[in-house]
Amino acid sequence: MKRRIEIGLLYSRSGSYSLISEACRSGALAAIAQLNADPDLDLSFVPVERDPGGNVDLYGPLCEEILRDTSARHVIGCVTSSSRKEVIPTLERHGGTLWYAVPYEGFEASDHVVYTHACPNQHLLPLLDWVLPSHGRRAYLTGSNYIWGWELNRLARERIMQAGGDIAGERYLPIGSRDVGRMIDEIRLAKPNFILNSLIGPSSYEFLAAYRQLGQDDSRFQPWNCPVLSCNLTECELPAIGAAAEGLVAAGPYFRGVTGWPGGAGFGSSHEAAAFTAVRELARLLAGRPGAEDLGLSQLLSDDRMPGGIIDPKTHHTVLPAIIARVESGMFRVIHQRNGVAGDPYLTRTPQTCGVAHLRVVS
Amino acid sequence: MRRPIRIPDLGGAQAMILHRPHPIVHALTRQLMAIGLQVTEAWPELGPQAIGADYVFFDADMGHDGMFPWSEGQPPMPMVALIGSEAPGRIEWSLRAGAHAQLLKPVGDNGAYSALLIARDAFDTQRALFAEIADLKRRLDGRQTVVRAVTLLAARGKTEEDAYAQLRQMAMAWRISFEDAAARIVASRDDTNPSGRKARDGRHDG
Repeated sequence: MKRRIEIGLLYSRSGSYSLISEACRSGALAAIAQLNADPDLDLSFVPVERDPGGNVDLYGPLCEEILRDTSARHVIGCVTSSSRKEVIPTLERHGGTLWYAVPYEGFEASDHVVYTHACPNQHLLPLLDWVLPSHGRRAYLTGSNYIWGWELNRLARERIMQAGGDIAGERYLPIGSRDVGRMIDEIRLAKPNFILNSLIGPSSYEFLAAYRQLGQDDSRFQPWNCPVLSCNLTECELPAIGAAAEGLVAAGPYFRGVTGWPGGAGFGSSHEAAAFTAVRELARLLAGRPGAEDLGLSQLLSDDRMPGGIIDPKTHHTVLPAIIARVESGMFRVIHQRNGVAGDPYLTRTPQTCGVAHLRVVS
Repeated sequence: MRRPIRIPDLGGAQAMILHRPHPIVHALTRQLMAIGLQVTEAWPELGPQAIGADYVFFDADMGHDGMFPWSEGQPPMPMVALIGSEAPGRIEWSLRAGAHAQLLKPVGDNGAYSALLIARDAFDTQRALFAEIADLKRRLDGRQTVVRAVTLLAARGKTEEDAYAQLRQMAMAWRISFEDAAARIVASRDDTNPSGRKARDGRHDG
């Protein structure tokens, strides 16, 4: 007899980042379907869905609705950091837990959040370790005007300067803006060795299309000469980018076809894989423990006696592969992979000289 | 322009929490350990081992003078006040105790990281300002000596401007400050031997 346990799903099905939300949502639903069909498991999950429609101000109230009106204590959801920050006070009030399955900028370790995707020591730092020796140390930084771009670019600037590099330019766009002309002009004049792209949604698609055009006009800006790097781009957005994605280099814990991800290799993207893992880990924590579905996260973790846990009890982050991949013929091809990188949200557990020492030798 | 913030290396840093046993100590400890610090609790006072701590969080509600093993208001590390009652008297006491940042009670899910960074920055800024003020004060005190040294050098028939330039060159040659060089000149002339022997073997560090 399976225990029926309600769990919340809080993903925007429309709005500027809906491709990512949909990828996460389908990963979570795939895991729920798989677990519910497993006769050996003593529980089944009943999804309780709310759709904030890309409006950051609806996340708090809708999370409140899930935790107040249903028995769900666990919510799989949120894409932007702003929306995650909005739900944390609600989680605190109700003793709920958010399972967050997208890359983010770090510097958080909430008692009420599990982070199953990558933070900077698992995406940005490995990416810089790869690009600085292979392409040079002159960077152009772009981003959308919110915490993801700001913090990623701050950290990139710090690490690039430490490595003796320089910042050729840094420019931001309001979320949703397609006004990329000035960035392209600056890049043409500044001639960086690479571009770190932390734009999101339509801004990013527009930028990549314009940069491809620039590369066609001047081979200096072809991807093999001056690549565009991303810490959050996955297969789920490739259809929106089309041919302009060619040559783009991204960091992530999974790319389609990579083997070794727990639960399978058939995921469409790391967003899907990380949401899938979140639901599976929740099921592992609750299986065989009637009543555990009502516990808060810290107790759930401290009482966990079963093998196979993936959550660091101190930081609530997970150990992930750090993979660098390049889009070739419409698919990501792995160019570098480091396994077993533990999430280090405050960068206090990773050596500070990460990648810098050997870069000096190369120069 | 303000300098960029220096992100302190918090991995393995030592934090002490001066507070009676209470859930807020637990919540704060969780946050600090997630960040990567090592945490020690103390109550009702900080022992002498507190000198080795990198950060001190202290209770502003029940805190009182004499809890800290250093002179009043002169902590050797950044201090964060844990404030429950926002009564002005308590805020005043926290500031007198040397608070560089504060965290409001009840301590919940976050706040410790920004308190650490703000306290570290305020502490470093305060240190740098104190050092600069002490140096300026010392130089101000040396003003009279500089005037005397310039007068002594000018007495050899130089213009005041040339004497001043000569003093600057001596300071550079001896690798000591302008004021120390002036003190050396004045001391050598005060000597019974007017040949300025002290000034000539002035290579010992100033």
